[in-house]
Amino acid sequence: MSAIDDLAGELARLPGIGKKTALRLTYHLLRQPKERGLRLARALEVLAERVHPCPVCHNPTESAECAICSDPRRDTSVICVVEQASDIGAIERSGEFRGVYHVLGGRLSPLDGVQPEDLTIGHLVRRATEPAGVVREVIVATNPSVEGEATAMYVQQKLASCGVRVTRIARGLPVGGDLEYADGVTIAQALNARRDMK
Amino acid sequence: MPLLQRFTALGFRNLAPLALDVPAHGLVIVGDNGHGKTNLLEAIAYLHAWRSVRGAGDIDLVGFGAAAFHLAASTGAGSEIRVGFERATRRKKVTVDGVPVNRLADALGALPSVTVSPRDVQLVIGPPSERRRLLDVLLALSSPSYLTALTEYRAALIRRNATIRTAGKHPDTGARAAAWEGTLATAGAALFVARRDWAERVRPRYAELCTLLGEREASALRYRSSADTSVPPDADQAAIRDALAGALERHRGQDMRRGTTRVGPHRDELELRLGGRLLRPFGSAGQHRSSALALRLLEFETLRERLRQEPLLLLDDPFAELDAERSRRVLELLLVRDQTQVILAVPKVSDVPAAFAHLARTRILEGTVTLMDAEGR
Ligand SMILES: [Zn+2]
Repeated sequence: MSAIDDLAGELARLPGIGKKTALRLTYHLLRQPKERGLRLARALEVLAERVHPCPVCHNPTESAECAICSDPRRDTSVICVVEQASDIGAIERSGEFRGVYHVLGGRLSPLDGVQPEDLTIGHLVRRATEPAGVVREVIVATNPSVEGEATAMYVQQKLASCGVRVTRIARGLPVGGDLEYADGVTIAQALNARRDMK
Repeated sequence: MPLLQRFTALGFRNLAPLALDVPAHGLVIVGDNGHGKTNLLEAIAYLHAWRSVRGAGDIDLVGFGAAAFHLAASTGAGSEIRVGFERATRRKKVTVDGVPVNRLADALGALPSVTVSPRDVQLVIGPPSERRRLLDVLLALSSPSYLTALTEYRAALIRRNATIRTAGKHPDTGARAAAWEGTLATAGAALFVARRDWAERVRPRYAELCTLLGEREASALRYRSSADTSVPPDADQAAIRDALAGALERHRGQDMRRGTTRVGPHRDELELRLGGRLLRPFGSAGQHRSSALALRLLEFETLRERLRQEPLLLLDDPFAELDAERSRRVLELLLVRDQTQVILAVPKVSDVPAAFAHLARTRILEGTVTLMDAEGR
């Protein structure tokens, strides 16, 4: 297999990139100065070698713990649960949240074979209950889709038996709209209008 | 204002490439069975809900040897509606006035129509899913929130079913199934209330239509829940939600053993009765036809009221197998609608009732439509 096919093949595995686009990107890189291609290669290498999920919250980081978990000003008694690490950026932009996060790594999706054990729900339950009394509230900020709602329900069921207060962000977001693309004001409103799950 | 002014079709079933100008009052299509009358009406009706009214898949609508089908309509309101479906990619593209429609839901009812045909008897004698489909299309067309609820409900339902089929593999399958029940109860309650309220509202009119069609005994229709709960008939949406959530929880164990969700709006029924007895098992063929036609007329009246415009009336050989007396009554009911644009398809010129004699006539032969002259040739 040629180097061109090789790279195009790898690019085509990325979300939202088809075979055509992958080839176009490959030829685009070929036309660039050599240094630029090498810079991309190094960036990818560093990403793969150094970045790992934060052992506390699963947010990708290069340090022992991520910047949020290692920030002493963050309130560790409130955990905001998100589907993807990219959702954290959106919530941070709202400037409304001073607690810490927990990245589930996806949402329940039985049609794609995604089960609770494929997510970090077990870890979340331990984090929220051991030692008891430290975590006051878990805010579930999964997306307002059918699968996001079911994920929230499941998390709530797992935590309810442990006596932790579980809240859900308000459905101010457009239906089916991803948190990732919502603006700061919308997210701030959704956070402020959160409700206890029962 | 005429609804449909010009209709074109390309690559649709057996129809030859077609460009049809439709007069304000409509037209008559004469052709033997198998020559494409029904296909032509199906093509026009496709622009109502973006799918075949006969329940065919899009791929089956692409003509033999064609790569795609294209339909287009110019409406009296000055709108240009187009849809194309490509066999190879299975992609459907809809544009309204040249603007692509990303969500088909946004363009439902672009060319609203109601099709009346002898096949409608399936509405009455077919399984409950036939009647639920009538309700779903009708209510989705008249309310965007109904369509949202329906979409969410279906999504949650297939996921709960997929989840409970793994029962036994996990110690907490119950909790996993329960995760989907919140959406099922919330969206399900919205569906339930909309369907029940519609059925309650049209109930007197249904009885009246059946009487006008010649039924002597009292006709009744009622929305019946599959949940074995005793919710009061006028319970509000929150109460229905709670009742559905309770029913799902109670059925969970049984559902897991059977591998499917057996309670909820996807199992409900629009129950039809005549003289107190269920129409489906006990009615005669004529009674089934009357009921089916009454349902179609209710569909027409509901759409007219909610869309504030006269739907196009597509009549596919509506008098077939009806005796003279019933034909006369059907015709009377259809003719009340003076404003309505009608497209009537019949096998022979002699099948055109006098009341429709003023409509322009076309002939369809082996999929090709041609205008007929005054002598009917
Ligand atoms: Zn962290």
